[in-house]
Amino acid sequence: MANEKKFFDRVKQNQFYKKWFKSAFTYVTGAVLLSVLQVATLASTGNPWGVSGVFANWGAWIYEAFGGSVDKWYYFSSEGAQNVLNAGIMNHPGSWRNIGIIFGALLATLLASQFKIKKIKNKKQVAAAILGGLLMGYGARIAYGCNIGALYSGISSLSLSGWVFLVGIFSGAVVGSKILVKFFM
Amino acid sequence: MAKEIIIDSLGEACPVPLVKAQNAIKEMEIGDVLIVQIDHSCAMKNLPEWARKDGHNVEVEEVDDGEWEVIIEKAK
Repeated sequence: MANEKKFFDRVKQNQFYKKWFKSAFTYVTGAVLLSVLQVATLASTGNPWGVSGVFANWGAWIYEAFGGSVDKWYYFSSEGAQNVLNAGIMNHPGSWRNIGIIFGALLATLLASQFKIKKIKNKKQVAAAILGGLLMGYGARIAYGCNIGALYSGISSLSLSGWVFLVGIFSGAVVGSKILVKFFM
Repeated sequence: MAKEIIIDSLGEACPVPLVKAQNAIKEMEIGDVLIVQIDHSCAMKNLPEWARKDGHNVEVEEVDDGEWEVIIEKAK
């Protein structure tokens, strides 16, 4: 027990531990890593990086698990979308990536000893989270992308649509911040 | 006599802690100390960044796993 404690005390003081696991990466480090990994994503899966579209598929799979069918839904009506759904979650690169993001984030916070289950402060916070989540999720689907699929992947593929999305998301963020400060704080 | 003000921002996500701190510091006198309790790691970045840019003295203390106190002394 005493030896273990000594070991972890030493790890805490280690400069490489502090640099790589404890302190947050700089924006530049993060940007370089994201760029390299999104090139790897495009090369290996044939599709640019996206996050929120995956959740629509998860929703469809859950709905199908309960006996529902999304064949007639406009969103899933294309042959491509149907093929992805029929292939299942195990053969869906985006699902694996999102699961990886969730477990990676957990691992990062555990390695930095910063894991904490946060309290819910008040009902306003709950309302803001649900309302914000619904708006973001719905908005991302009718825009065919979120800040990753439409903005990040759009701009990095030299597509004009990414820049149009940037204008939209920036104005939305300004309005959203005002609403947050005014009604939910 | 310098006052000490504590903001409990535990459980609140960005930008709420920052906005609360900015509002609080407006009401304070020079030399007063503001302690913002946070558990959202991004506030650990944007709070000190703003306070230092504004010219105040800032210290961050890790009080528990995933819990910090940002201590800001109003300097101007």
